[in-house]
Amino acid sequence: MGDVILEIKKLNNFFGQVCTATNLDLKIESGVLTSIIGPNGAGKSTLINLITGNLPVQSGTILFKNRDITHLPIHKRVRLGVCRSFQIVNIFPELTVFENILIPILTMAGRSRRFFAKTALEGDCRSQADGVLEKVGLTNRKDTTATALSHGDQRLLEVGVALAVNPSLLFLDEPTAGMNPVERVRLLENIRQLSRDGRTTFVLVEHDMDIVFSLSDRVIVLHRGIILGDGNPEEIRRNEQVREVYLGDSIEQ
Amino acid sequence: MKKTWPTLFIFLIIASLIGIGLFSGRFMIYLMIRVMLLGIFALGYNLLLGRTGLLSFGHGAFYAAGAYGLGFFSQNVAGHPILGIIIGIAAAALLALIIGFFCVRHTEIYFSMLTLAFGMMVFSLIWNLRGLTGGDDGLVGIMREALSFFGLFKIPIKTDRQFYFLVLAFFLLSTWIVYRLQNSPFGLALAGIRENPNRSEFAGVDVKNYRLSVFVISGAFAGLAGALETLLESNARPFMAHWSHSAEPILVSLLGGLLSFSGPLVGSVFFIAMREIIQRFTENWMLWFGVVLLIVIMGFRGGVVGVIEGLTGKSRKELKE
Repeated sequence: MGDVILEIKKLNNFFGQVCTATNLDLKIESGVLTSIIGPNGAGKSTLINLITGNLPVQSGTILFKNRDITHLPIHKRVRLGVCRSFQIVNIFPELTVFENILIPILTMAGRSRRFFAKTALEGDCRSQADGVLEKVGLTNRKDTTATALSHGDQRLLEVGVALAVNPSLLFLDEPTAGMNPVERVRLLENIRQLSRDGRTTFVLVEHDMDIVFSLSDRVIVLHRGIILGDGNPEEIRRNEQVREVYLGDSIEQ
Repeated sequence: MKKTWPTLFIFLIIASLIGIGLFSGRFMIYLMIRVMLLGIFALGYNLLLGRTGLLSFGHGAFYAAGAYGLGFFSQNVAGHPILGIIIGIAAAALLALIIGFFCVRHTEIYFSMLTLAFGMMVFSLIWNLRGLTGGDDGLVGIMREALSFFGLFKIPIKTDRQFYFLVLAFFLLSTWIVYRLQNSPFGLALAGIRENPNRSEFAGVDVKNYRLSVFVISGAFAGLAGALETLLESNARPFMAHWSHSAEPILVSLLGGLLSFSGPLVGSVFFIAMREIIQRFTENWMLWFGVVLLIVIMGFRGGVVGVIEGLTGKSRKELKE
């Protein structure tokens, strides 16, 4: 652990008068399961959007593995190994579960430009896709059209498509929202396991504090575009400022 | 067992296409050539519309590029039909590359309107550059020379019956190519772009690049159809580039079924057949075609192919029970 995989310098973002990132400086270390928390409108999703390329960066720099990716298009960032899942279900609705997973795998293997090959014969990629389906537990829904899945299964697929890229840095935006407890536990167990394997560094945005504190090595608290707290779960729990603006609220309720 | 039926079906269709070429009358042969030309045009076009989800109103321009490309080549360089067709396809693909470069940066309505604008620009260029293109007369008197292969042997295509088999060869080749494209990893990536362009980017797909590729491919098929039509009618006309002609593959695909592979082909058969039948009774064939299209869009989204699949699917279920 300890290698800096992502470094953000003086990142700024405004939507009109609303400030969602103010001179943000942040380092994400490889292998450290990091969670980002904060009240609604704190700028969590915006931060992910900026890092992954869904929103253009207004000012500041983003370095991934010491390479400037601030203005790279999305697909190039993905090729380098930065990927994400979405807060709302964002999959390929009319394709089968298997095809959903296969698209990123073929692309990352540099095979989706094969005009004339038969998809049915891409053995390596197909078995990789089977592997991903097993990880997220959708093997028995393999040939189902994605829209026909239950909401929870769609959420699993959402994470699966992101995992299929085999990224070295993966942002999961509220991955367990809308899942039933069984699915939730299975997915979190998988994330923990994958994180330990060390291939992928996970950054989670979550609202469920139990998940955040039980899973994370490090917690970052965002509030109105600035970092309010940063440390291991114990430190964050004790942080006075954080309790005031965020945790305190939920305790009072 | 599972594979025998479709293979048998395909052989039956090819056999009957050859049979039509050998035994039917001149009028039927002419109609079938028109069906196959429209089929090539629509099949290539549907890679863009049904597969990738991009609605272009400008493919008439590429059709015309194929037609005029062959026309110029045949009148000024050499009359060899195959070379002319290759030139036509290349001209169409090049034009599609140039126009596509600007269009694929935009999506949905903006993409469609840009293709419409470019298409109409090509139309008015053809219309106004009288010295080069013959203006509203078009290029006329293009000959169907015999196919010679390095002077070794010659196959005449002078009569419509002989020409029919050249068209049939290109038709089968196009169908096979499009089928392979749709079932390739590239085809899957295109379907992904149709379903969710943003997610495709997060799957590592360079969406603009893929859109441009398929735009050029569909343009090339339009060029092939245009070149063949020029050989059939022995002229290239400016209205090939008109937006109303660009709309034909859209109507055909809708009629046959947007999302199925055979939709554009089945649609072409119905389109030409309906036009022939309705025109026997009334001048306003578009009015009645409009009614049919209305029924298909409102009631049968999957088109003719969708209806057939629904029926056979049902009978299969009944068999199981």
